[in-house]
Amino acid sequence: MTSFVVRRLITSFVIFLAATYLMYVLTALSGDPLADLRTSTSPQKAQLIESRSALLHLDVPVYLRYFIWLGGVSKCFIGQCDLGVTIQNQPVSVLLAQAASSTLQLVTIAALAAIVLGLLVGITTALRQYSSYDYGVTFISFLFFSLPIFWVAVLLKQYLAIGFNDFLSAPDIPWWFVAVAAVVLGVFWMLVLPWRGRQRLWTFLIALAASAGMLTYIKLSNWFTYPHIGIVGLIVTGAAIAFGVTAVSTGIRNRRALFASLIVAGVGCAIYFPFLYGFSFYLEPWSFALLAVATVGASFGIGWFMGKPDRLPVARTAAIVGLLMGFVITIDRMMYVWDDFAGSERVKGRPIATIGAMTPGLEGTMWVHMVDTFTHLLLPTIALILISFAGYTRYSRASLLEVMNQDYIRTARAKGLSERTVVVRHAFRNALIPIATIVAFDIGSIIGGAVITERVFGWTGMGALFQYGLDHVDPNPVMAFFLVTGSLAILFNLIADIVYAGLDPRIRLT
Amino acid sequence: MKKSRIAALVAVAATAALFLSGCAPQSEVVSGSNLSVAWNQPFYSYNGATSYGNATANANIIYATGSAFNYYNDVPELVKDTSFGTYEKISDEPLVVKYTLPDTAKWSDGQPVTAADLMLSWVAVGGVYNDTEFDPSEYTDPDTGELDGKQPADVVYFDSGADPTNPSGLGLVTDLPEVSADGKSVTLTYSSPYVDWELAFGVGLPAHIIGKKALDAGSNADGAAAVLTAIQDKDTAALAAISNFWNTGYNFTELPTDAELLVANGPYVISDFVADQYITLTANKNYAGAHKPKVEEISVRFITDPMAAVQALQNGEVQIISPQATADVADALNALDVTTLFGDEGTYEHIDLQFANGKSGTMDNPKLREAFMKIIPRADIVEKLIVPLNANAQVRNSQLFLPGAAGYDESVANNGSAAYAEVDIEGAKALIAESGVTNPEVCMLFSSTNPRRANEFALIQQSGALAGFNITDCSSEDWGGLLGTPGAYDASLFGWQSTSLGVTNSSPTFKTDGINNLNYYSNPEVDALLDELDGEFDAAKQITLQQEIDKLLWSDFYGVTVFQFPAVTAYDQNKIANVSQSPLAPTVFWNIWEWAPVSK
Repeated sequence: MTSFVVRRLITSFVIFLAATYLMYVLTALSGDPLADLRTSTSPQKAQLIESRSALLHLDVPVYLRYFIWLGGVSKCFIGQCDLGVTIQNQPVSVLLAQAASSTLQLVTIAALAAIVLGLLVGITTALRQYSSYDYGVTFISFLFFSLPIFWVAVLLKQYLAIGFNDFLSAPDIPWWFVAVAAVVLGVFWMLVLPWRGRQRLWTFLIALAASAGMLTYIKLSNWFTYPHIGIVGLIVTGAAIAFGVTAVSTGIRNRRALFASLIVAGVGCAIYFPFLYGFSFYLEPWSFALLAVATVGASFGIGWFMGKPDRLPVARTAAIVGLLMGFVITIDRMMYVWDDFAGSERVKGRPIATIGAMTPGLEGTMWVHMVDTFTHLLLPTIALILISFAGYTRYSRASLLEVMNQDYIRTARAKGLSERTVVVRHAFRNALIPIATIVAFDIGSIIGGAVITERVFGWTGMGALFQYGLDHVDPNPVMAFFLVTGSLAILFNLIADIVYAGLDPRIRLT
Repeated sequence: MKKSRIAALVAVAATAALFLSGCAPQSEVVSGSNLSVAWNQPFYSYNGATSYGNATANANIIYATGSAFNYYNDVPELVKDTSFGTYEKISDEPLVVKYTLPDTAKWSDGQPVTAADLMLSWVAVGGVYNDTEFDPSEYTDPDTGELDGKQPADVVYFDSGADPTNPSGLGLVTDLPEVSADGKSVTLTYSSPYVDWELAFGVGLPAHIIGKKALDAGSNADGAAAVLTAIQDKDTAALAAISNFWNTGYNFTELPTDAELLVANGPYVISDFVADQYITLTANKNYAGAHKPKVEEISVRFITDPMAAVQALQNGEVQIISPQATADVADALNALDVTTLFGDEGTYEHIDLQFANGKSGTMDNPKLREAFMKIIPRADIVEKLIVPLNANAQVRNSQLFLPGAAGYDESVANNGSAAYAEVDIEGAKALIAESGVTNPEVCMLFSSTNPRRANEFALIQQSGALAGFNITDCSSEDWGGLLGTPGAYDASLFGWQSTSLGVTNSSPTFKTDGINNLNYYSNPEVDALLDELDGEFDAAKQITLQQEIDKLLWSDFYGVTVFQFPAVTAYDQNKIANVSQSPLAPTVFWNIWEWAPVSK
């Protein structure tokens, strides 16, 4: 395997080197870096042109200027990276560090959410092939797939930010909306859930009643001004999480796992009030992270303690339940500061942001900043998810369908394994192989590919760096961008190959 | 049994927890009054006088946090700020100017602004003590080209773009300025007359801080004194250290850890700066001048995309925007409940004709130049391409005057530009017939990547064809580099940027062999008038001279001016009042201290 990795790295390096040369020359030849100075009437015009020419080595032909850049970059090997300066004489390495951190912040959640949602929806559609749910998802994902992101972004801003903020200034849901929405949700659940015949009618009625009840509660409790999950909501969610996770992870028949999950959910409900009104006020980001680790650890411990004789699956199930409970409680805690946040003088009653990464000058506890980050990340994350979600659902659906028709699945069923075991253990794992490639590629490209999203949402990240360089015919920032995205493409490609070998024992890296 | 016991324990704990809900702090948000402005580029240097820091994004912040002897208002005309300092011209020949600082001129740390600050500005911006042998490219990192503080300890080099071997502006003050005994005034003596002296001098960075950072002075007073002594004694070692810090110490892209770098003398001070997000200005508590600000805190948010800025304004995230003017932005703003100001930018579009070295030689013939000027549909271009972005847009009719500036209207009435107000096809045909050339060839150079210029070219081409001109496309993406290239084109279409109303800006463009004279124009009469203008101190006479030059340029068929670039500013009139925009930098920020919150 080592020799495989080394060989791959060497060939990639050579190709990458050639690519950088091409990129540098193309960028440098794309225009005139002195254009803005040529039309200047400044008395210092001659000096300004001269100093910029010296700064960017414009006296050296492009084909050789590349090697000046390469010389600086090759110092990375001795730990002194030198990516040159921009046309404004700013060191590119500083800009790159800022841009990379801002882009990572933007795309991480979006990438994770798109993968999880895409896989989930893709798998469920494959299991219910040719149902109305399947057709619905197919329609929607093709719709999203074909939407241009700048247009989606403008619409999201108009309706989800500006429109929703307008709504929040006087948040009242009219009764007709409650009625219509309840019917729509009822039909939605009827189509999504797998039951047939008379059971289908019951599904519709229960979903209708539940939705109507929920919307009425939201309307009457002024929920949009004072959002909350509350202890009742937490108990219901907790029970649902415990049953749901157990069903997928170990099967509901594993009573130990179910019981451990319910205990973890119960503990979560128990610490809800002391957390909400007590120690959550004193949390800092680091202690919050510590608490999250402790929560998962404690849940794992509960599962381990309860899980004799087969401890590991039970502990695993409990840990997942613990993590999800922590997540729900965190959301509730963030909702707790919502009206305080939205009504503050900085936010001025318009919480959903269309631009930037934070509200200028907003001061407050960790929770306030978490809500602030959430409101700023919301729109760009949705925009990014909509684009990659479509692809993931298609690929995971196709991949799982193919696997489900294999002989070994029939064998597994013939052995009398439960449907859960067949799908989760035998089918899903094999379906992941082709998806691994796509995900790996996507992560590489999403970091560099958020150019438009970044610009429209005012995030100054990698995309902005790239665009700035192209606009000013300045190869250095473009090359910094290319270095990062290019190496990521190579790296993730390699990771995909290694993951292959892990998922499929027939593949060996030599 | 065991399991149910655990469950019971959990239940007890849960019940106990219910009662534990106790004392919690009331509000978790810290409040304060504020305002946000959108700008399209992040701030990156607090010293706008270096060739590194010379950009609008920096100039706006430096302007808001600094004071000057004078500034441009929205007319535009030069206004003095006597609460910060006064100046008087003592004599014309030689030019002697005395600058005096009142007690109301203070730095934000309480230190008074003194002669040391003025002397630092002189030595840095004028560059008189710069080592002429010193080649900065030899002493900087050859790969980055950045002046990173590694220059030799004995070399004085202020990176202000000044060239001591060929001095201009403040660099003409070659002798050490005289400092008064009380340390509150400085007298500059120019070695040759410089008529734009009013624009040449001001206070830049705080000398007392530079003294502390570069010369290890212990206190503020010592810092200022050390800098003053170094300049007066021409102490090369100290000046080298000062220049080193002046060049590099004020470049930051996020809030510097050293708060002393933020010491300023204007209505606002920088209080927060998050990389690539925003920079926040807070009212300067120690400000004693006339520009007392009304808004406590102003954040400048960095938003590149014009439409994103419009939606941020609509969503209440920013209250003032000044995006690039496009038809989409104008349409979007018209649909919103905001106040939109349409106006001009400093840059103006113009068409120059090649008096010599043209591609076809057509423009060597004055009759053909006149005929060509007659067919340029200027009113049509403005109507079709600029009015959608700026409803008040008008054709610019002067080569020298900015519309609205003193002397523009009178000059337009007399300079003969009226002859080209309307397209005159018949007149052009007659002139072509007189010249004896059939289907004269005109190749036009303009930016091939600029759609607006391509549209302008199309309109000119159509109009020219009616009169018999064969107008061809010489556009290039490298048009800037082709400007002035002999034999490359016959006429050029591009913009000149005006950054001030200084009268010395005209010489490089219209004088024979001037650096911006790219069309080989040469008229001894104009040269003489320009020489006279560069030595004329009287404002009224300056205007008369400029008007004479303007008239000569039009009668020589120099070319035509077309329009000022449109600028747009929009603000939320329910939150903020007293916003207006100036065609010159710092555009909308020019009266930042007059912006007033609207309380409802």
